[in-house]
Amino acid sequence: MKNKTLSYHIIRNVLLLCTGLFLVVFSIDYYFTRNIIEKTTKENAILLANNTVNRIEQVLTPAEKIPEIVAKMLESSFLTRDSLIPFMKAILSSNKNIHGSIIAYEPNYFPDKGIYYAPYVFRQGDTVNAIIHGDESYEYFYMDWYQIPKITNAPYWSEPYFDEGGGNIIMTTYSVPFYSVKDGKRVFSGIVTINLSLEWLTEIMSSVKILKTGYAFLISRNGVIITHPNKNYVMNQSIFTIAKENNQPGLRNVGQEMIQGKSNFSAANFTNSWIEGKFWIGYRGLASSHWSVGVIYPVTEMFSSLRKINLIMLFLIVAGLSLLSFVTVKIVSKLTAPLKYFAESARVIAEGNFNALLPEIKTEDEMRELHNSFSYMQKELSKYIANLKESTSTKEKIESELRIAKEIQLSMIPHTFPPFSDLTQIDLFAVLRPAKEAGGNLYDFFVIDGNKFCFTIGDVSGKGVPASLFMMETRTLIRSISGKGISPAKIVNSLNKSLSLNKESSMFLTLFLGVLDITTGELYYSNAGHTPPVIIREKGEVVMLEKPKFIPVGLFDNFEYGELSLTMEAGDKIFLYTDGVTKAENADKKLFGEDALIQIILAYAAASPRDLIQKMEECISAHVNGYTQPNDITMMTIVYNG
Amino acid sequence: MCSSFFWLHILKKMKKRNNSVEMPIIFFLLLFSPLFTNAQLSKLVFAPQWLPQAQFAGYYVAQEKGFYKEAGLDVEIIHPSASKQTTSLLTSGKADLISLFLITGVSAKNTGLDIVNFGQISQHSAILFVTKKSSGIQQLNQLNGKKIGVWKSGFDEVPKALMARVECQVEWVPILSSVNLFLMGGIDAMVVMSYNEYDYIINCGLDKEDLNIFPVSEYGFDIPEDGLYCLKSTFDLKKNELKKFLLATLKGWNYAANNRKYAVDIVLRRMQSAHLAANRVHQEWMLNEVLEMMSVAGKNIMPGELLEADFIKAVCILSDLDRTWQKYSFADFYKSLLK
Repeated sequence: MKNKTLSYHIIRNVLLLCTGLFLVVFSIDYYFTRNIIEKTTKENAILLANNTVNRIEQVLTPAEKIPEIVAKMLESSFLTRDSLIPFMKAILSSNKNIHGSIIAYEPNYFPDKGIYYAPYVFRQGDTVNAIIHGDESYEYFYMDWYQIPKITNAPYWSEPYFDEGGGNIIMTTYSVPFYSVKDGKRVFSGIVTINLSLEWLTEIMSSVKILKTGYAFLISRNGVIITHPNKNYVMNQSIFTIAKENNQPGLRNVGQEMIQGKSNFSAANFTNSWIEGKFWIGYRGLASSHWSVGVIYPVTEMFSSLRKINLIMLFLIVAGLSLLSFVTVKIVSKLTAPLKYFAESARVIAEGNFNALLPEIKTEDEMRELHNSFSYMQKELSKYIANLKESTSTKEKIESELRIAKEIQLSMIPHTFPPFSDLTQIDLFAVLRPAKEAGGNLYDFFVIDGNKFCFTIGDVSGKGVPASLFMMETRTLIRSISGKGISPAKIVNSLNKSLSLNKESSMFLTLFLGVLDITTGELYYSNAGHTPPVIIREKGEVVMLEKPKFIPVGLFDNFEYGELSLTMEAGDKIFLYTDGVTKAENADKKLFGEDALIQIILAYAAASPRDLIQKMEECISAHVNGYTQPNDITMMTIVYNG
Repeated sequence: MCSSFFWLHILKKMKKRNNSVEMPIIFFLLLFSPLFTNAQLSKLVFAPQWLPQAQFAGYYVAQEKGFYKEAGLDVEIIHPSASKQTTSLLTSGKADLISLFLITGVSAKNTGLDIVNFGQISQHSAILFVTKKSSGIQQLNQLNGKKIGVWKSGFDEVPKALMARVECQVEWVPILSSVNLFLMGGIDAMVVMSYNEYDYIINCGLDKEDLNIFPVSEYGFDIPEDGLYCLKSTFDLKKNELKKFLLATLKGWNYAANNRKYAVDIVLRRMQSAHLAANRVHQEWMLNEVLEMMSVAGKNIMPGELLEADFIKAVCILSDLDRTWQKYSFADFYKSLLK
């Protein structure tokens, strides 16, 4: 399968198509050529049979005239009985083809001659002899040559026969009846015959040459073989016995048409027992003797030229297809060779070497386009990777800055607990879990004038370094402002004014700021848009403070913030948090919520600030289940010990 | 001859070795060598009633397979010419025994020829009337007034008797041997032998479907044909040899029946040497037909025997033909050699 290259597919398809086309052309050519050969052979066969028939008729037809004329002469009493023999001798002398002739009379035609009277002249060597035929041992009245023309009242060519002398000469007899007029009636009087040797016929027939192994043959009116290259057939077999012996019903049908004097070229194949193979036969009857000439065409030879042409064509097709395959392989290989290099280059490029060498393309075609595309891809990839490197380093720098910002943010908030070892009235615990980016949450606490405990929690809008900076600025401002007065409202108003000055940043923050009088437990607080803290009373009562009435800090410089107060008893706690707690969400976008917050506080109301916050963290952690949080999570719990 | 020389050669060798123990064996073998047995063979000249063909295959086979010689006979087979009656060969002394149709034999004895039948080979009649379907003759009695070809040389009694029986007045046209007059349409019908002329007509291109045939056997004229005859005087003199001849002949026919190709080969050879047109297809046909007619099924006789009923049938036919009938008994006519 690995070897099924592009060239393989192209060559296979081209070869299949070409082979199909060649086969179609070849078949059509074969069909038509075969038809033409058949037609030509048929015409030749008929022509040949006609010629042969004509050559035979040239002998038979004139020979027929002699007894016919003699018969007329006998009927007209032109010939006297005594002149018969000299006259017939004269005929034989001047007609070399005639072997003998007889004039046979009816019984007692000449009363003084008795029953039989048949003068017979015949050739014996170079001389012509005569005898008077007819006695009890030669009852000519019953012989075919006499009886048939007598009864049918028509001249008759006898079936060929072997010479009486027992020689191998085949003879035939042409008999013509003659009549005399007695009492006004035409009465049959006898028969005039000539005997012809058929040796000349054998010569004519054997001179017919058909291809290499074809031949001509002659059959009699009865289908008996008169001439045939197979001497054993002659006078022994008829075309019908040959047909039966070889189990060829088709040949029998041909024989029947032949003895009916028909002419045809029979497409019916038949085999011949004395020569192997299939043969076709053309035939034509002789009008005179009703014999029939057959010409045999061996199929293998008839179509040998066709076979030769086919072989040459087949060879050319195979050679052509081979050449085509070779050339196609060469061309396709040459055309597709760069593809291999392109593939290698692509691998090298994929490994990061964008300067990999591309194959050299000299042609202006699809390969050139591919080359250009590759080249363009190389350039673009280089550029892209360069950009990527740059942006990655920038990002890394930012991330490092953010990390520093986050560290600064965390370092600026107090994280030593308990914070005041000498201040027993207050205990607290706080955590700030920044989100991925540095956030803007903050918490802070400090003591003012020895007995005022100021604490705050806030959440800056936005994230990142600006939020961190804004948060640091806020923390610094709170610390510095809180020195001038101890009212939360004043601190928040002052903070708002300071932060609102820098409008370009468009930043603001929610803020809860409280000041607890350690001695009295009185708590003043101001809530600028922050989530309301929860008061946990020593008695177990848990109260969420009222929703904030003031807007976040840093939005409008002339906004007036007010303050509220409550009194904390010894053991009371306050739980502060940012919205990162209630809005902590899990993968299903389900928020942690205030209800869960209250439930946990209720459950752990008596716990220390550290335990409460840790428990809260566990519960949040269980809720989010590893889902990355967008917001900082900040919590702070303060206990007033009184 | 060769084998005789072979034995003499052995004998000479033995004498040289002077081995007296083996001498009696050699003499015993010599006694049966052809050189010695030839001298004891009885000469018989047999003439079948027609030219060489498969009709006589059994005789040729018996001769070539040496069945006659085994029986102590030296049989020579001669054939009459087509225009001669075979009985003349008996009277002229040219043949010791001949084959004749039963009807011819009965008829010949009737005309005063003192012959006896000593074996009946054929048990049925093969004679057919044949017409071309194109002549329109569908029934035997439609032959009335028609020209019918029949052999000039004899064998004409049965067809003539049949025509007389069905009261058909026909013009008989004597024919020597060919079927050409029939093929040429010179006659309306022809009497033929199923094993010979009928197949010859088929072999001249006429199909069986083109012909109507009327076998005489289907009209109560199933008279056996070929039988063996000799002069009464010969029979008295050579009864023993004739019996051997008959048995060897039957053996020959049996062999021919079981080895038909071999038998036809012999027939073809004999026909060729007699310059007769010969082909296997026709001779095979003839042998098969002739063998079929030798069946004695339903006759309660052994092959080679003549049934008295068949003799009587033949006599009746001759009486019908109004020939002067001299009475002689079946025993006078037929001398069984097989019982």
